[in-house]
Amino acid sequence: MLNKSIVEDVIIAALSIGGDFAEVFVEDKINTRLTLLSGRVEKSVSGRDYGVGIRIFSGNNSAYAYTNDSCKENLIKVAKETAITLKNSNCNTTLNLMKSDIKNNSTILIFPSSVEKSKKVQLMKRAYNAAKSYDEVISQVTVNYLDHEQNVLIANSEGLFVEDKRVRTRLSINSIASKNKEMQTGFSGSGAYMGFEFYDTIDIEDYAKESARQAKTMINAELCPSGKMPVIITNGYGGTIFHEACGHGLEATFIAKGSSVFCDKLGKKIAPDIVTAVDDGTIPNAWGSLNVDDEGTKTKRNILIENGILKGYLVDKLNGRRMNMKSTGSSRRESYKFPPTSRMNNTFITNGDSTFEEIISNTEYGLFAKGIGGGSVEPSTGDFNFGVTEGYIVKNGKIDRPVRGAMLIGKGCDILKEIDMVGNDLEHGQGICGSMSGAVPTNLGQPTIRVKSMTVGGRKEDK
Amino acid sequence: MQAKQFIKNLFGAGKKAGIEDMEVFIQGNSILELMVFQGEIDKFSKAEEKGLSFRGIYEGKMGYSYTEKIDEASIEFLVNDVISNTKIIDSDEQETIFKGSDHYNEVNTFNLELEQTPIDKKIEFIKLIEKEALSLDDRVESINYCIYGDQSRENMIVNTKGLNLESKINSAYMYISVVVKDDNDIKTAFRYKLYTDFNKFDYKAIAKDVVEEALSLLGAESIKSDNYPVILRNNVAAVILDGFSGIFSADNVQKSLSLLKGKLNQKIASERITIVDDPFMEDGTETKSFDSEGFATKFKKVINKGVLATYLHNSKTAKKDGVQSTGNAFKSSYKAPITIAPTNMYIEKGNKELDEMVKEMQNGLLIIDVQGVNSGLNPISGDFSLAATGYEIKEGKINRSVSNITIAGNLFELLNDVEDIGNDLVFLMPSNGYIGSPSLKIKSLSVAGE
Repeated sequence: MLNKSIVEDVIIAALSIGGDFAEVFVEDKINTRLTLLSGRVEKSVSGRDYGVGIRIFSGNNSAYAYTNDSCKENLIKVAKETAITLKNSNCNTTLNLMKSDIKNNSTILIFPSSVEKSKKVQLMKRAYNAAKSYDEVISQVTVNYLDHEQNVLIANSEGLFVEDKRVRTRLSINSIASKNKEMQTGFSGSGAYMGFEFYDTIDIEDYAKESARQAKTMINAELCPSGKMPVIITNGYGGTIFHEACGHGLEATFIAKGSSVFCDKLGKKIAPDIVTAVDDGTIPNAWGSLNVDDEGTKTKRNILIENGILKGYLVDKLNGRRMNMKSTGSSRRESYKFPPTSRMNNTFITNGDSTFEEIISNTEYGLFAKGIGGGSVEPSTGDFNFGVTEGYIVKNGKIDRPVRGAMLIGKGCDILKEIDMVGNDLEHGQGICGSMSGAVPTNLGQPTIRVKSMTVGGRKEDK
Repeated sequence: MQAKQFIKNLFGAGKKAGIEDMEVFIQGNSILELMVFQGEIDKFSKAEEKGLSFRGIYEGKMGYSYTEKIDEASIEFLVNDVISNTKIIDSDEQETIFKGSDHYNEVNTFNLELEQTPIDKKIEFIKLIEKEALSLDDRVESINYCIYGDQSRENMIVNTKGLNLESKINSAYMYISVVVKDDNDIKTAFRYKLYTDFNKFDYKAIAKDVVEEALSLLGAESIKSDNYPVILRNNVAAVILDGFSGIFSADNVQKSLSLLKGKLNQKIASERITIVDDPFMEDGTETKSFDSEGFATKFKKVINKGVLATYLHNSKTAKKDGVQSTGNAFKSSYKAPITIAPTNMYIEKGNKELDEMVKEMQNGLLIIDVQGVNSGLNPISGDFSLAATGYEIKEGKINRSVSNITIAGNLFELLNDVEDIGNDLVFLMPSNGYIGSPSLKIKSLSVAGE
């Protein structure tokens, strides 16, 4: 991608001007994005992202620059211009980068770039047909497909030099149901750190039907009631609640500067005994997995909460300096256009003892959030929200009737304490998480859980 | 390689491969971002980026490709990619390459003084505002974000039909988020300012404004779930309009993805509502004389006194509807295909001060911030349910601050329920500042709390 001796020269050039640590990140990425609407391929865009990011630390401060022009003269110029904003050059450096081989956690069988686009389109059409023919009420279906092969080179002044290739693909189906001048939507999709063989491991028609089923259910559903009530949150994508309510607040990005409600809580009880939560970047072929993070550190299985006790944060190199902690292999970035910072990979609450049926039958009245949209959080206060796209009222231990989407809100540290049942049906959903270092693929996972009381942002009183 | 030579070579290679009409869109950005933390420049980021988008018509269909590596080797990749992308397109809508409009309005979008402002002045400004905000009150716990950034962007469209257009635009922004704390509570507030003129950043005024708002929220509590009369402050109304701005796209209408389908020339909102799309607005972040297809832009009323006057078109949707393009073709970046977006779009202001609106409402809620737009607002159904913060209004006065509530409703009902409009039009984040609204008084919204 970039010659080792050029990388060495760039790092030395930076440190000769300022800083005590320098890093080079090179990215060469092939992207394919296809959109199918009304059964026809509407958009087909592909292209090549290419650029180099240079990052320099001086103590706790950092400077970052990136460019698309990777000729040696330009990179050295950029490195020097960036370093000049920092103090404390420590350099009479000599540097001998040693290429280290990395352990590959995820086997890729069929590289997407080797697959004809028409094959990808066939797959999309199968999904379209399954969703569209699900019911007469389905008026429109959009299918989105993406794949990418991201080649990265990461090197730094500590002698690190690694290269990796990351391959991902994802397909999603949006269905719209129309009735009486109203429209409601359904969404389903899946993705993996895998090649095109991923689609042999799932039944795409099942996902398509699921999307159509949601839209049909919602067009026939009444408005969601509002107020405080127990909320049962589905497995898989339901993990959005932990991601927002707690996960972001454990990122060093916020911990290092004291702007998280979870600062100074290590070793303290922050959740009931039944809650254990993990962030694991090593799961083979999982959507949010990486062999090495975007600073070149090996990913790990990080225990965040064990039996209710806060065990660890997600740490990157820069914030690790402020916190006096080592990297947990959690530093990520969308592309060379972003300096990396601590982020989640595959985050999930581990299995408990209850069955789904037990959780429902033990609930006298409440909301079952079966379909989950995205969410957001303000880590310094812990205030979070996330959207329910498909809801059901539970009455007298039984699912009573579907209700339309509503927002759920709360404070992270309060909600964690309110989890009173954890199911035994752990699953993972594939999301895209947006934060300071851009949009990165993350898994959201959990078994079905119940929260004793949460504010449900519906539109009417329950009769 | 020089852009001109590259384009010439690319068009040559494309023609040889059988591509008929071709177009190149080049975007160059120069970006600076500074973040200050406890008096030091904690993060400094600088970039020069360039990308090239190539599209062309092969066997009657338009294919797209892009690259960030502008070298001889990319030419073959671009040409092959465009051809392979056309082969799978089976949309019946024909896209065309445009030869150019007869006339383009002149716009002034480049501020030379901003470009020439030395970096030291920017650093000084961002340090001053952090210091000022920290000094205003003992309860200011920390400034969790204090960021200054500016960007200069050059666009160029060149095609084989003779079109050759260039534009240059720059702007600067600052973002500050403060955390305040007392014995019982912790709250945040933020301000985002975007200007083309660096001199407009008033660090004292911004710091005072954001700190006062954060302090006013300490001790905020929820409120009983019910329907309340509501004033959406200008920034909140702008966020909601932004979330739904896609409903005006003719593309969404034609694909049955917008509830405005079949509503042209019908009343869809209170007669108090007029929504304008103004590409010539002074200091607008989307001010431009031509759109992403090279069409001359136009001033238009999208909703005129409650009546839907036009959809927003690019050439493809206009052809399908048998109308003229409204000059709203849009490419979010060189990576994206051509879609439709507003230029500078806003709800026309009324003549009331916010204070006056509060006084006249007597009892209800003034909403000053909402969260969760990405998941809580459904542009297809029009439904929204958003986490909200604000004040309870009693007898025409602010009684107390309110948080941990949601406001919920439907956009199409909301547009009909607008009872009053403020004189405080503002353009705001998100959306890079091209969607604006004044404060709106709404008859009633569902509020979930206790």
